[in-house]
Formats: sequence, structure tokens, C-alpha cells
Amino acid sequence: MLSVFIWIPLLGATIIGFWPELTAKQARQVASLVAGSLFIWSLVLARLFNPDLPDLQMSEFIPWIETLGLNYYLGLDGLSLPLIILSGLLTTIAIWSTEANISRHRLYYILILFIASGIAGTFLAQNLLLFLLFYELELIPLYLLIAIWGGEKRGYAATKFLIYTAISGILILASFLGIVFLTSAPNFDLAILSSGSLGIAALPLKTQLILLTGIVIGFGIKIPLVPFHTWLPDAHVEASTPISVLLAGILLKLGTYGLLRFGVGLFPDAWNIVAPWMASWAVVSVLYGAFCAISQTDMKKMVAYSSIAHMGYILLAFAAATSLSLLGSVMQMVSHGLISGLLFLLVGVVYKKSGSRDLNVLRGLLNPERGLPLIGSLMILAVMASSGIPGLVGFISEFIVFRGSIAVFPVQTLLCMIGTGLTSVYFLILINRVFFGRLSDWVVNLPPVQWRDRIPAIALAIIITILGIQPSLMINLSESTTTALVSLSATVAKASQTNQFKILK
Amino acid sequence: MTSTTSQPISHPLEEYIQRLQTGDALLSDYPENVVEVVGILKSYGVVLDAYSRNLIYIANHQFLVFFPFFKYFNGEFTLSKLLQHWGHDRINYEYAEYCMKAMLWHGGGGLDAYLDSPEFQQRANQAIQGRFKNNLLILGLNKLFPDFLTEHIRQLCYYSALGQFWRVMSDMFIELSDRYDRGEIQSIPQVVEHILNGLVADASKPITYSVKLRDCAPRSGQANRIYEIIPESVGLTFLMDTAVPYVEAIFFRGTPFQGAVSYNAQVHQIPTEQKEFTYGALYADPLPIGGSGIPPTQLMQDMIHYLPNYLHEIYRRSCRGEDDLRVQICQSFQKSMYCVTTAAIRGLAPYPLDSTEPQQQQANHAYLEGWMDRFLTSRLLEVNQPTSRACQLFPERSTHSAE
Repeated sequence: MLSVFIWIPLLGATIIGFWPELTAKQARQVASLVAGSLFIWSLVLARLFNPDLPDLQMSEFIPWIETLGLNYYLGLDGLSLPLIILSGLLTTIAIWSTEANISRHRLYYILILFIASGIAGTFLAQNLLLFLLFYELELIPLYLLIAIWGGEKRGYAATKFLIYTAISGILILASFLGIVFLTSAPNFDLAILSSGSLGIAALPLKTQLILLTGIVIGFGIKIPLVPFHTWLPDAHVEASTPISVLLAGILLKLGTYGLLRFGVGLFPDAWNIVAPWMASWAVVSVLYGAFCAISQTDMKKMVAYSSIAHMGYILLAFAAATSLSLLGSVMQMVSHGLISGLLFLLVGVVYKKSGSRDLNVLRGLLNPERGLPLIGSLMILAVMASSGIPGLVGFISEFIVFRGSIAVFPVQTLLCMIGTGLTSVYFLILINRVFFGRLSDWVVNLPPVQWRDRIPAIALAIIITILGIQPSLMINLSESTTTALVSLSATVAKASQTNQFKILK
Repeated sequence: MTSTTSQPISHPLEEYIQRLQTGDALLSDYPENVVEVVGILKSYGVVLDAYSRNLIYIANHQFLVFFPFFKYFNGEFTLSKLLQHWGHDRINYEYAEYCMKAMLWHGGGGLDAYLDSPEFQQRANQAIQGRFKNNLLILGLNKLFPDFLTEHIRQLCYYSALGQFWRVMSDMFIELSDRYDRGEIQSIPQVVEHILNGLVADASKPITYSVKLRDCAPRSGQANRIYEIIPESVGLTFLMDTAVPYVEAIFFRGTPFQGAVSYNAQVHQIPTEQKEFTYGALYADPLPIGGSGIPPTQLMQDMIHYLPNYLHEIYRRSCRGEDDLRVQICQSFQKSMYCVTTAAIRGLAPYPLDSTEPQQQQANHAYLEGWMDRFLTSRLLEVNQPTSRACQLFPERSTHSAE
């Protein structure tokens, strides 16, 4: 059931690659069909998924290279299911939003489907080495998507992305290898490594801290956390709209998901020690991202920096590691995926229709007759959601994160809450400059927006609103898993303390 | 040695003064302008016909009706018409009332003066007595608040006067379109000439207002009695008492957008003197931006239904197609209003504008400078820019700053 998410995109990519005389339209239809089917399949699995069970469900296990400890081991739980659904949705939207007559269409859609496969594998993998394989699988396709179909400085941005993410992969690989070599685990399976006796809990605390550092920095680059964030604004600015949607919506979540699964989940003791530092790091990321966003004049860069700030909330929730904060972190991943996806889509439409993303040039786009009124209205909804206005999904996720974290780290939580206020500041600057006022005297004839450009944004806006009004649709999927993760961490921590006590004795 | 004699400073809109003195119009004479102006005036003529009928209906048949719920139905009330009305599939008669109220508010001309005269007061009182002969409550209230019903009648006088004015203008614009269809109109000066001739022909047409009320007196046997509110003997005429105040109130002054009045007044954006208002059709920004100088959007909405095909086709071929039809109509409408204004300026000039007599030329020049002063903040320069209908993007910042 789960392998479908990995192999169907690869099959689709093969069809696109070898189908003779395939036009851009046909390639897009095949890719849309594949992505749309996967999204529907993810909804079917959500229906079949038992949200009351915290354990892995629908697991698939095939021994692969046993000497390396690599097994084809997939599983679905409350952490991965929302992200799998999000991935299916945003991949479909990204393909839909692609220019109909895009150049090198075969390669483009093959790369997108490769990314879809890699992302699904990353979220489903229950073997550390398998996770890393999929984690790396999306690296080259994304590099090519930026380098070939990007903006003016695409080469620079793509190379920077490649270097940063490659370092991230190396650090994670080193930590994973260290974990297996230092523990007595027979392979890289997550279930074994998280067990009390054979797993990481048996390692000395110093060793755990060293391994955790590699994981934190590795995934910190991917999230990205300040000061490892500099690749993100460049990549976003140079990437085309569909790729920005994928990048902000899903690919950044690989970092947060990895940190939750392999940092918080595997190293509860060490995590407890570094948690205050993590919470402070979250504050720095939130405030730095927000202040950078305020100073931007490029709409896309502003949204990119807002992503950095919003990822900080997730780190705060991880640091607090309460059942509520971890639930909030999963919700924040999904809500940020939806909201940033919508924001990048809308910025893309503005750029396509107006020819500029510059806040000093654009104005009056909310004009009902000659501007982009529907796009402007959706943008207002998106920034409201991002600013945590009640009734929209952003409020729910941020509220749960803060509610779950404030008891553990009150000062850091309060400082992060200032970040939500700053979100309103920079997004109001954006709305005020770009959409209010009068259209320029010398430019009043902007091309009309087609429904094809509006539909994906409307779809995302509807989902953001529905989940804001009825968050239980999402909460129910993850609650048992996040609660279990906290109790497991506590159990493992207790066992670890006993072990260390014995060692000391 | 250099000369210190200063050159006379020419008016910033001297070019337009020269244009008018050489028989040209305020609007440049381009073939597309002719198509736009004639086409839009045709649809305007149709709409004015409907407005005119409704204003006169209200003046005559809704006389001192306190709750005129069905005043826009012209006495033909049916359920299907009510549903159409609620569905907004109708003429926006509210715009006609807006113009009427703007005229009432700004006043000017003989009508305004007459409505403050004792003769009007007396005639209005007779009509009030006739209308509420057996209604002691209203008559009692009228004694307590004598200005209330009188003011209502003043407003009804404006309903009637504007209706009569638009009757003439509607016929004039439809005839212009017919002449264009026959190939008799090919340039903007010809359009202006047609309007000027129309204004002159009807200049002395009397403006009157009388209302027929059921006489409830015991010996009258329920017969109808006609109350003359503005008799012909008052001497009000079409040009000086309706056309000129109309141009002043609607083309020049207008009224600030009600929704923005408070805000704009607080930031001192609304002049304290009514005569300094510049919210009229010649100043309105065709782009609706929620500011105080709003375009006459309801009128544009009404004209959409009566656009001649040749003009509709031009609009359809533009960048946004039908998306911004109202803006395109407003741009054309503004051009046409500059033609009507040109005709008014020519008609009111102290001497023929093409006079070669130096003294007359000087007087004409001073007269035209007075008008041009008022055009300084208008959209005169904008309407004379070539209308771009192709799609345009914002220039990138680098390009923009390089400029």
C-alpha cells in the first residue's frame, strides 16, 4: 500500500521518459494523473488509518542489503501521514501551476516525479539508511529544477543549495553511521534503535550529544535555521513558482520531520539537555527571519524569510517536547506547507501578470477593474493565515505550539509570540504597498488572470479555511503518535538514567 | 546690456486656449476619439432617455409621497419587474437622483433663485394644501415644520428640471449617432458643432413644472386640478437654468464619495467651499480606488447594455477584454464630456471664439483662461494621451529608476 507512493511516480517518470513524441501537454497530463492519484490514494489511506493507534500501520518490510543493515522498511504513523497527504496535494498543485509550454518538458516532469517519490520515501522510511537514500534522492532533481528552469542567477542559487544540502546529508549520514556502529544494533531499523536496551539510550550521554549535534546541524541546514539559512532566499528567488511551492511546502519539512523523528525521538536524554539552547535558537530564528522579512523589497524573498521565521516555531515546539507542543509542531508543518504554498503561488501569479515582485514598483493591484482583485483577496487571506488570525489554520497550529511550549520555556515562547506580531508587520507592508493605492499612471493594462492560475490558489485557500474552522480533521491523525512519542521519550530517558546509574555504580 | 523686460507668462494650458480659438475642441481630433465619443454618446443617449422618463415620472406621480417604494417602476409595477429590480437587472435610476441632488445642492442659475422666491413659496403652499386637503395630521405638521414639505417640493422641481434637460440631451445624442451612421460626422469639431447647435436650438426652451392632483373639495366632485409650481411666466429656460447649472454641478463640482467624506474631511482633503469642489465627471479617476473622486460607476454599468457594436468590439480587443469594461467606458465618457464642455464654453463665450477683432480676442482669451484655471487639476491632459489598449507590465525597478 505504501510502496505505491514511491514506485508509481517512478513508473510515471519512466513513461514520460520513454513515450515517443510526447508533447508538453501530454507530459503534464501524465504527471498530473500520477500526482493526483497519489493525493487521492493518501486520502484513502487516511480513511483506512486508525488514528487511535500510535504504532506504525500498513508496514512493509523486505530485507535488502543485510550486510549494510539496509532494509526496505516502510511504515505510516501520525507523523508521516499528514505530510504524505500534504506532499500529494502540493505536488499536484505544482504540476498544475507549471507553464503549459515549458521547455524540456520530459526532463522537467521526470524530475518532479522523482522528487515526489523521494519525499514519500523519506516520510515513510523506517530504516535510517533508507531514509537517507530518499533524502538524497530529491537533492539532484531539485538542483536541476532550479539550475535549468530558474531565474537569472539560477546557477549560483542551485549550486549554493547543492553545497548546503550535501553538507546536511553528510552530517546526517555520519551521525547515522555513528549510531549504528556505537550501539549494538544489527541494522539501521528505527524500531531497534529507539528501543531501550539495544538502542541509543544505552550510549553514554556525551556520545549521544555528539551524535545529536550532527543530526541537529544536518537537519538545521535543511529546515533551515539561522545561521544555516542563507541558501533558502536565493533558492526561492531563483526557482520558478511550482518549485518554490514544493520547496517551501514540502522539502523544508524533511528537515523538521527528520529532527523530530531522529533527534527528539531517538535522543530523549541528550535532547532534554540541549532543549533550552534549542528554544533560544528558535527565538533567534524567529526574530531574525521576521526582521529580515521586514527589510525585504522582493515579495518572494519576504515570503522566504517568513518561512525561516515560521520554522522557528517548530523548533520551539520540539524543544518543549510536550505532547501538546509536538502535536502543534506537526500541525505547524502542515499549516506552513499550505500557507507558504499559497503565498508562493500568489507571488508567482503577481510576477507573471505584472512583471515585477518589487515592493517599490508594484501598487494598486487590488483594483477591482484593472488589477488582480481575486489574487489580492487570496493574498490577504494567506497573510492573515500566516499571521495567526483566528479562523484560519495558522492560528490553530501556532496556538497549540505556544500553549504546549509556554509552561516549559515561558520566556522563549513569549519572544516567539512577538514573531507572530512581526509577521503581521511585514505582511501588512507587503499588502499595503503592492495591493492598495492606485495603479501606476504609466501602467494600467495588466493582463487578466486565467482561471487556471486561480484554481490552485482557491483550493489551498479553502483547505486553509476548513482546517482553521475544523482542525480536528488534522489533529486526530497525529495526536496519539505525538502523545506516544513523549511517553516513549520519557520511558527511554528513565531507562537510560537507570543504565547510567548502574554504569556509575 | 541685457533686456530686463519680462515676457508675459503664458497659461499652462495655453495650447488648449489656442485650440479653442482656432475652432478645435478640448479633445484631440483622432479617428478613434470620434468612434469612442459618438459610440459612448449613443449609449448615453439611450440611458438618459430612461433617466429622463423616470425623473419626470417621479416629479409628476410621486408628488409628496413620503415612502416612494416603487418610484423606479414608472407606474408599471409587476412581480417580475420587482424580481428584476432585486436581481439588479435594471437601469440604475439612483445615478439620476444623485445628479439631481448634486444640482440641488450646488444650486446656481435661475431655478435656484426662483426656488427661494415668495412666488414659489406661495405656489408650493397651494400644492401642499391641495395634496393634503383632508389630512389634518400632515397639515398640522406642516404648520409646525413649514420648511419640510417645501424642501421636498424644491427637490421635485429639480427632478422635473433635470428630466426635461436630459430629454433634450438624449435626443441630441441619438441624433448625433444617426448622423455619424449616415457619414455626416467624421471629426471631433463636428461632434462639438452638433452639440453646440443642439444647445443653441433649445436654449430658450421653457422649463416648467406642474402637477395634477385630485381635488377633494366638497363641490369639486373629485376632479383633478393642476398646480403650476414653475409656470412658464417665471421665464426659466433650458440653457441658462438647467444646462449651465448642470455642467457646473456634475461636470465640475460633483460630490465627494459619501463613504470617504469623513476620512477625507479629517485630513483636510475636502475643500470647505462648495465652489472649490472638483469631484465632477471631468476630474473623476476612471479607476475605482475608493477615493473621494469616484467615477460614475452606476452610469457606466447602465451604458454597458447599450454600447454600439463597433465600440464594444474596440473594448473587447483591449488587454483585459470585458474585465474592465466600466473603466474603458468611463475613459470614453470622459472624452465625450470634454466635447460637451467645449460646446458649452463656445456657446457661453462673450464673442465668437474665432473672432479676429483684437479686443474681442483679448476678452475671449481672458474668458478661456478662466476655464483653463479650472481644468488645471482636471483630466484634460490624460484624456488627450493616446489610449493604450495593449497589455503592459510594470517596469522592473532597475528600469524604473534608470528613467
